[in-house]
Amino acid sequence: MHGQPRKAPKPEDEAASAAKAEKLRNLQSQFLCFHHNNIYSKEALEVSARLLENNPEYYTAWNYRKLAVEHRLTQSESDPDSDSDSVNSILNVELKVVESALRQNFKSYGAWHHRKWVLSKWQSSLDHELRLLDRFQKADSRNFHAWNYRRFVASLLNISEVDELQYTTDMINKNFSNYSAWHNRSVLLSNLLKRKAQGFFPKEKVLNEEYELVHQALFTDPDDQSGWFYHLWLLEQTVKADAPLLVSSWPAHDSNLILLGDSCLEDSALSPFNTFHSELGTIPLVVYFNKAVEGVNSSTISVESVLNTKGELTWKPLSTNNSQTAQVWVTYLNYPNIKLHSSEFYPVEVSVGHTPGIISSSGFHYSHPSRFAFKVFVRPFEKDLAGHGVEMVSWREDNFLLYESHSQESNPILSLDQLNIKDDHEESSSKWRAETIANEIALFRELLSEINCKIGKLTLARLLIAHDMMLSPIANKMVHSEEVIQLYSDLMKLDSPHSQYYKDERSLVLLQQITSNRESLLRYCFRHGDRTSSFLGNSICLRLNNISLSRMGSIEKLLWVQMLDLSHNELRSMEGLEAMQLLSCLNLSNNKLSSFTALGPLRLLKSLKVLDISFNEIGSHSIDTTRYLCSSPLSHTEEIDWSHDETVTGDVNQTNYWEAFLIFKDLNLTQLDIVGNAIADEKFKSFLVKIVPTLKWLDGQELQLH
Amino acid sequence: MTAATTKTQQEQWMVENQVFQIFDLFADLPRNAKSALVELQRDNHLEYLTKGLKRLDPSFCVLDANRPWLCYWILHSIALLGDYVEHEVEDNVVDFLSRCQDPNGGYGGGPGQLPHLATTYAAVNALITVGGERSLSSINRWSVMFEVSHFCNSAYWSHFEPNDMDSEIFCREKVYMFLKRMKQPSGAFRMHDAGEIDVRACYTAISVASVLNILDDELIQNVGDYILSCQTYEGGISGEPGAEAHGGYTFCGFATMILINEVNRLDLAGLLDWVAFRQGREGGFQGRTNKLVDSCYSFWQGGAFALLQRLHAILDEQLVNYSPQTGVASDISGGEESSDGVDDKTCHFKLGGTNASCPVNLNSIGYNFVKQPGEMEALYHRWALQQYILLCAQDMKGGLKDKPGKHRDFYHTCYSLSGLSLSQHSWSQDEDTPPLPNAVMGPYANLLERTHPLFNVVLDQYYEAHEFFDTP
Repeated sequence: MHGQPRKAPKPEDEAASAAKAEKLRNLQSQFLCFHHNNIYSKEALEVSARLLENNPEYYTAWNYRKLAVEHRLTQSESDPDSDSDSVNSILNVELKVVESALRQNFKSYGAWHHRKWVLSKWQSSLDHELRLLDRFQKADSRNFHAWNYRRFVASLLNISEVDELQYTTDMINKNFSNYSAWHNRSVLLSNLLKRKAQGFFPKEKVLNEEYELVHQALFTDPDDQSGWFYHLWLLEQTVKADAPLLVSSWPAHDSNLILLGDSCLEDSALSPFNTFHSELGTIPLVVYFNKAVEGVNSSTISVESVLNTKGELTWKPLSTNNSQTAQVWVTYLNYPNIKLHSSEFYPVEVSVGHTPGIISSSGFHYSHPSRFAFKVFVRPFEKDLAGHGVEMVSWREDNFLLYESHSQESNPILSLDQLNIKDDHEESSSKWRAETIANEIALFRELLSEINCKIGKLTLARLLIAHDMMLSPIANKMVHSEEVIQLYSDLMKLDSPHSQYYKDERSLVLLQQITSNRESLLRYCFRHGDRTSSFLGNSICLRLNNISLSRMGSIEKLLWVQMLDLSHNELRSMEGLEAMQLLSCLNLSNNKLSSFTALGPLRLLKSLKVLDISFNEIGSHSIDTTRYLCSSPLSHTEEIDWSHDETVTGDVNQTNYWEAFLIFKDLNLTQLDIVGNAIADEKFKSFLVKIVPTLKWLDGQELQLH
Repeated sequence: MTAATTKTQQEQWMVENQVFQIFDLFADLPRNAKSALVELQRDNHLEYLTKGLKRLDPSFCVLDANRPWLCYWILHSIALLGDYVEHEVEDNVVDFLSRCQDPNGGYGGGPGQLPHLATTYAAVNALITVGGERSLSSINRWSVMFEVSHFCNSAYWSHFEPNDMDSEIFCREKVYMFLKRMKQPSGAFRMHDAGEIDVRACYTAISVASVLNILDDELIQNVGDYILSCQTYEGGISGEPGAEAHGGYTFCGFATMILINEVNRLDLAGLLDWVAFRQGREGGFQGRTNKLVDSCYSFWQGGAFALLQRLHAILDEQLVNYSPQTGVASDISGGEESSDGVDDKTCHFKLGGTNASCPVNLNSIGYNFVKQPGEMEALYHRWALQQYILLCAQDMKGGLKDKPGKHRDFYHTCYSLSGLSLSQHSWSQDEDTPPLPNAVMGPYANLLERTHPLFNVVLDQYYEAHEFFDTP
């Protein structure tokens, strides 16, 4: 129906055109008469053939010819004089009709289908079909009917996938830009690699050859898209790891955790990175995988400790949309009643995946059983300090002091190396991976030194990231970060319609760089200098403020953070933050948050007390622009106890503020700053005061106790 | 290293040059002239369309097997422009389409031709667009069938029971019987008796059944499996298993999955990724990787975005498992489908603010889908698309075309306008809120009628049909 070749209407053609139409109309009515009277005479067949040659779309005539073929085949069967030649001639005529119809319109569904029908009854010679295909594929190398027919012929006549692969090579060599050929190639290769066909194992050798082939295309015309898309597919085949892996945990392996009661004393001997304050009588235990998994439970993860006295642990997926699949899972260890003046270490050992059951959403099993251990030191707290009272947290600049580390401190930031899982039997392939990617990097650098090509820059950036990710456990730094950041900055200028995408990618790289090693991360760690605040005590504040972040990342390395300053960035969503289960103070002021929905992940942060979302864009946009990044709590079934809440909110109509309500009702905030958002008027503030009964400070004002 | 250019690339550059020349010219114009250029030439379009309906140009005889399509393309375009055709013309259309109807159900490409799923879809949509008792009940009118009987021998009609002629249920059953006859053991549909099997056939069958309120478990059985087997690793959907992803089929497969309530089985994150990459520098969409821009994909690809807008809940869930580093879904497992939710008979999108875990009435999916607010912005550059349609695809003398340098035709007029309408309305959260002036490029008078993103019939006409066919 689409892509009919159509002549421009020129006046001199009109008469001829009208005559042709008249002729066709005549053919049609003659044809319909024969068809409806089941006449299959020579003359009738001739009429239908002429009709189809002029209008191959006339599918009723194709069906008529099928009936005619059946009719004539039956006749010749009952005729003792007939031989296989007559059958051949009947079917040969059909192939000829199809060919002339295709010459008129090679996008005709009916014609191609009729040919398939003939072939499935009676096999024409292989050569003949392939020659025909060659002709049509030369005329239009992207014609999907021809490609479909090719696959049909190949499977009907048992043409090997290797031969078909060779055909795509020929087509590609003739014309690099033929994406249909590249696509068919990727499909064929996937099959051959999957069944480890002869000559297609190991896959490393095969993929190397593919890289060579695609380089020819890319270097011949870097502006043509086809090769780049194939290159992307190749890179995916090179780096993809199917099985899920554990990438980090909290508490980290080998760490000594110091657990404090509901108040604490200054003690410079304690490492602030490992000190944890809990009012709830529990310690969160967080496991972070490289991809979303299901099946995390007390049988797939065993926890050996005296701390969990209450029987089996319940693991919860940290997912914002009630899914039972998540990248991050949490459970809570109860610590025993602390006896005054008795200080003890409690060892905890966690084994992940020794019993099968953890499965990625694509069905791959967790196959690297791993173990991590830590110790919990429970500090007795002193009752007389407990009622000391909480004070307002100030984010003022002069309250922060760059953290100076003591070398003797054990530091959980380093624990990532210890958790790194060595995979011996994949060592040779990982060496190949590294070499391949290094080779690609060198090539594309060369290409880009000669031309300015945006897709080349993007590919180089992706290769460099893949390279660093592969080596990071050993090199412990992102060696190419600067180059990648420069590439994305270039791309933002070169391809401004997609600048937000590049900006997001750049943010991720920047965060990988910051978190890649202890030294660089410590440059962002500050002591909160407000010494009078006993609430914060030894806490360290990670300050990632004012560094043009548009997206948060590398959270697997930040699970220990209790105080986080992300102010003065360009964040639009809090995606991923749900994993930071220790977070109690969060500064998001002066970002680009445009709705409460964007704060959705914060609902899962049970320790969050202090939140600053001042000077964002909440309420300024009628349409929420973040939903694709961050799910809406309303999009899933949730049991909300409206009846209970009605008594709390009284006359305030919470449906006006349902988004805010769903975020804040789960949080126990004591301090909130919301000034500088379009939504934050007096009415809204009084609504907040009612739904967050724990709130003590709102926009810097101490609330009167009701 | 010598940089030669491929033919594809040269063609691409030629189109880009033409398009950018237009855009540059436009950018340099004074304000008044600018607003005149981006004006939708309503009167000229209507004139072109109305003429086309009354007397088709002889060169269109290649479309003789697709005449219900011509009716649909023209009538739907006119409806999008907010206009109607004269009663007499409407009556002629209804009569003509009735003559295309097969006594055993379904519509053919013309009187006496075999019933065909695509033309059945076109005829049903055309009749819904005409609207009114006469038109809608004609989908079941039987007396007209005898008008074509001079082509036919009497034996062909002998099974026909005149008593049932006015029985709407009986007649709708005929369409149903036709759809059933087209259904294959694999779950997919054939276009016509002994015809080809593809995703197009699935969409047209399911769309017709859904809009006529005759969709049932038997018709949808295994359709989802077939569509899934056509979603490629690129994310888009191909016409048949093994082929490359294609804009038209992507829309057809995607809409089908929604109508049969199995859309959660598709890799939506991959689909979004594929379709987002199909919008080019010209502003319009291409149909396949490394092909030229074509205005008709304003609907096929743009329509996929309109559908995605209402599926953010499922999209969000799937994006969790998506690796943004390479842009390729991380859970490709050699074509194996995800195992979740096949038997899960709950609605996979929010239904008009009600609880999402309600039992499903298959035939109300299309209705509820359009009733619920689109809670997510459309994820493509809408302004760029509207600019391409208005400046590059519009023939100022009436009608729309594929791209600069091509000629106008009814197909491109229909799907450019459909895409333009979806784009203009994608800013408004629900059907009662008209789009803001800044959602409509050019004068606000450019605003077209809303179209149903699953069936592509104008919404008011859809509601009328929905009510008319409401009886089970």
